[in-house]
Amino acid sequence: MKKPTANFKPCWIFSTLLLSAFTFIGRRAIASPPEKTTEKEELLVLPGEVGQRGERLVVSLRGEPKTLNPLISVDTPSREVIGTMQADLVHINRATQLTEPALAKSWKISPDGLRYTLVLRRGLKFSDGYPMDADDVLFTFRLYLDEKVHAPQRDLLIFDGKPISLQKVDSHTIVFQLPKPYGVMERMFDGWAILPRHLLEKPYEEGKIAQVGALTTPPNHWAGLGPFRLKEYVAGQRLVLERNPYYWKTDAKGNRLPYLDELVFLFVPSADAQVLRFQSGETGVISRLGAENFSVLSRDQKDYAMVDAGPGLEYNFLFFNLNDLGEKAPPEMIQKQKWFRDLKFRQAVSSAVDREAIVRLVYQGRGAALWGLVTPGNRRWADEKLPHSPRSLEKARELLKEAGFSWGVPGNGDSWLQDSDGKPVEFSIIAQSSSSERSKMAALIQDDLKQLGMRVQVVPLESRSLLDRVTQTKQYDACVLGAASYDADPNSDINVWLSSGGLHLWNPSQARPATPWEAEIDRLINEQMYASTFEQRKKLYDRAQEVLAENQPMIFLVSPNILAGAKNTIGNFHPAVLEPYVFWNVEQLYLKNGTENATR
Amino acid sequence: MRYLLRRLGHALLLLAGVSVLTFLFTALAPGTYFDEMRMNPQIAPETIAALRAQYGLDKPLPLRYASWLSSLVHGEMGFSFAYNSPVAPLLLVRAGNTLLLTITSTLLAWAIALPLGTWSAERMGRLPDRLLSWGTAMLLVIPDLALALGLLVLAVRSGWFPTGGMASVGFETLSPFNKLRDVALHMILPVTALVLSTLPLLFRHVRAAIADILDAPFLLAALGHGIPKRTLLYRYALPAAANPLISLFGFSIGMLLSGSLLIEVVMSWPGLGPLLLEAILARDLYVVIGGILFSTFFLVGGNLFADLLLYWADPRIRTESNAQ
Repeated sequence: MKKPTANFKPCWIFSTLLLSAFTFIGRRAIASPPEKTTEKEELLVLPGEVGQRGERLVVSLRGEPKTLNPLISVDTPSREVIGTMQADLVHINRATQLTEPALAKSWKISPDGLRYTLVLRRGLKFSDGYPMDADDVLFTFRLYLDEKVHAPQRDLLIFDGKPISLQKVDSHTIVFQLPKPYGVMERMFDGWAILPRHLLEKPYEEGKIAQVGALTTPPNHWAGLGPFRLKEYVAGQRLVLERNPYYWKTDAKGNRLPYLDELVFLFVPSADAQVLRFQSGETGVISRLGAENFSVLSRDQKDYAMVDAGPGLEYNFLFFNLNDLGEKAPPEMIQKQKWFRDLKFRQAVSSAVDREAIVRLVYQGRGAALWGLVTPGNRRWADEKLPHSPRSLEKARELLKEAGFSWGVPGNGDSWLQDSDGKPVEFSIIAQSSSSERSKMAALIQDDLKQLGMRVQVVPLESRSLLDRVTQTKQYDACVLGAASYDADPNSDINVWLSSGGLHLWNPSQARPATPWEAEIDRLINEQMYASTFEQRKKLYDRAQEVLAENQPMIFLVSPNILAGAKNTIGNFHPAVLEPYVFWNVEQLYLKNGTENATR
Repeated sequence: MRYLLRRLGHALLLLAGVSVLTFLFTALAPGTYFDEMRMNPQIAPETIAALRAQYGLDKPLPLRYASWLSSLVHGEMGFSFAYNSPVAPLLLVRAGNTLLLTITSTLLAWAIALPLGTWSAERMGRLPDRLLSWGTAMLLVIPDLALALGLLVLAVRSGWFPTGGMASVGFETLSPFNKLRDVALHMILPVTALVLSTLPLLFRHVRAAIADILDAPFLLAALGHGIPKRTLLYRYALPAAANPLISLFGFSIGMLLSGSLLIEVVMSWPGLGPLLLEAILARDLYVVIGGILFSTFFLVGGNLFADLLLYWADPRIRTESNAQ
């Protein structure tokens, strides 16, 4: 026994050494705010339940955030974190889905719709105590517009090839000049985090702007205008944010927000592990839940309550390959595209798909069947007149008969569908293997279509390979996919609607519209973009939704509900259907009574 | 010395080969990191093209390999698209956490397997040995994933152990002793899972090696001379049976960085596992290549170490290689 024991001891000593080497990377902020001006602060007073100051909220993130820099962030965890550390000029209230004043206390639009004059709040300060004024806004938009910065959202500030321009009127007034009237510019101000010029000017001039805001940034080198600021980052484990004492909102009683002292994001790499952490009480809030985990958690709600916020903005759909594949297309593909291009064929497929079964079997009833791109969660913009035709195999068979399809009877007694040339109708549907929901949808559709005599194979593909096939090589028959609008406004899906758009998935990036109905949609969408009143826009957008539904290039299936949960001790927890689902009012979240700490 | 040099040469060649192959295979995998952005309606295709160009993804493969090699020499190991930073620091921090877990569990597994295997071999065919064989066979067939999940369920139901991670929230406020305790507590479940998954293999090898040697004439002779059985086992049988075990130990070292990836993901241990999984799914090319190279380095290094140990332990190998 001697040898093993001898091994055992050094192992513990070694572990101790490793420990001290790898876990103590925390750093403390030593920000020293310049206390020069004591300008009267114009704070924003929020209505709603008044909470209690203090405590710490622990939540889990599926992945590790990659950066704190809003100029380059694209992944969900980074954006979720950045959302709690930054603020925008005009904000979309996630509950009402309407715009409201944020850093800008008011704004005026010139009669021709080309000039937006924004007035900033007085006395605003970044989380490191530095005052913020119009120069920060000008600087921020200079960065977003700079081609060399590669800000992913840059395109949204370009209209017909011309960028918007900004002028400073005085230290608190800025004019945004648009190249073209744009109906929803005030919504567009949402999400553009105003950045600290005093911290970013030097790296920007040195061309190192993409490197700033790394998670390893010392806390006193990073600042924002959001409710929380950086406190500590431990690679692979957690990100700790602390209360921003300079935040510009108060509650109805005049207490400065946010209520929480600390917000801790734990990095938990799998959904099941997130559920376990929540169940064991280590985390206080859980969001982005699948229906299965939601029902598991719903079973014993003692210390926590689960919330179903209803359908969100995600839409799942089936589409066929309608690309012009040119001369090189193999003959089978040409034959298949003959069916796919036939409107009656697509209508028959749509009629045969049992959407209610998908809602029931894939989402355990926590979703809404879908007949158009705009989901019922988008209350203002969904077209209520859109027909919700129930599933009908008879109608589907009739449509197929009209289109010249017939049912041959081979030896085994099954009757398979064949086209007018006598070719059996056989194709494959690709689906993301990483999304068990979409794989299940594809399998259910396979079953539904089998009843029409179509032979369908489901091919699960890893997400990147699938996107590669759909957007690059165009080697696929049909595909089940989903997308989520980032805002309730129609313009967030513009690349899906327009035939020139990269997300016009069935035939992306067309030079000119391939069909008359695509031209019609292009016209309607472009018109609504520049129409000035909501009623006009709504009318045009409804019509676009109808044209899309009539032509079925995308066969819409289901919109899943937004599911979340929180400990009973957490106050003001009101999940919204817009991102960020649970942290949109993070400054108002609080822990009741202060009795229970989220830590064990 | 010549033996050592030759071995080192082999190891370096192997590493170079692996780096070329991983580069080739990751480049051949369909899709790139920037494809996911295509599904984001906010991002224009021109921006994506510009980003690809910025990271040199539009250059031919040999050029990319060359620039990667030069960054390897500078200690950066390429650039992570997702983190916007060099790969080496990302990997190093997490490799440390992984090693903490795997070194502990490997040593623990060996510390259990050696005496247990010897004990069992001594009683070959009797009830305790049969029971142990059964038990380890059972452990062998349970997938690691099931083992880890089972332990996690236990943790949630009992509330005795944390359900993942490496440290509690509020870790930075603890005293040094409590910090140690906290990490040790967090290590219990993943270490148990790792030990349970490696133990059966080690145990069976030790048992077989000892059992083989127990029948050897020199041991029977020693037994005849009245040497106590205990001394016999540990002083004579174990060293004689060491050769296959040394090779196995080299293999254990080789698995230090790659053996725990799954457990880490399930138990959210902040090691290489979660990072690599995410990088593979997101096609964060250089992180994947860096991770593979890291674990290959350990595999090759472990084998080299085992070879050297064998050279030192076994005179037969010494004379053989000197004769050549």
